Amino acid sequence: MEALFYIFSFIAIFSALMVITMRNPMTSALYLILCFFAFAGFYVILDMQFLAAMQILVYAGAIMVLIVLVIMLLNISKIKDMKPYLHQKIIGVLISLILFIEIIFYIFHGAQKKPIGIFTHALIKKIGNTQVIGEFLFTEYVLPFEIASILLFVAIIGAYLFAKKKF
Amino acid sequence: MNSYLIVASIIFSIGTLGVIIRKNLIVVFMSLELMFNSANLGFVAVSNHLHLISGDIFVIFVIVVAAAEAAIALGIAITFYREKGTIDIDKANELKN
Repeated sequence: MEALFYIFSFIAIFSALMVITMRNPMTSALYLILCFFAFAGFYVILDMQFLAAMQILVYAGAIMVLIVLVIMLLNISKIKDMKPYLHQKIIGVLISLILFIEIIFYIFHGAQKKPIGIFTHALIKKIGNTQVIGEFLFTEYVLPFEIASILLFVAIIGAYLFAKKKF
Repeated sequence: MNSYLIVASIIFSIGTLGVIIRKNLIVVFMSLELMFNSANLGFVAVSNHLHLISGDIFVIFVIVVAAAEAAIALGIAITFYREKGTIDIDKANELKN
């Protein structure tokens, strides 16, 4: 498990760095798919196989197909000759470094809580993680579930309106 | 749990860096997806540590919102490209032309 965690984290960090440094947006998109697969590996280690499948289906499948299609639709040879970076590179590195240090500080100095729920590894393995998620999704979280369906409907209409020729 | 949170924070910072320094609208959007994913990893790691299931449910809703946001953002990108002929975010400085 430890070795798998280190392999996946190396792949994730490396491909995330490649996403923001590559000049060609298509290369970045392919590295982003690799990064999503590494995240799916993390979810498998953390005993959530259902989420790993969702990650690969929705992120690496649907969303990345959308992005790759848009990159192909916008003429890539015309875009390539513009300068890839803004001039505020140093400020950007500084801001993200400060953010990183803050998060690390709170990770190590915040109060670590003891486990409070009942869903241990053994219980989730016994019931099956898909069933656990399904039961919670359709009993306790049924209102957010319905709101999510409305949100997806609104997104369909919005995408249609934006991509139309004229408002 | 700490090691997962450290990896998530590293990738969140990389995503922030990408949003700040890149010019290409599509790459900025991809950095945003990186930040979404690192937040998801944090949710799953913490709910795994606390033996809860709510974090995993929340990840599903984050994925739903990310999918909706992808559809809208790429629609905006196509409209922007049609208006300006480029996807340089420095050129996005007026509401209507």
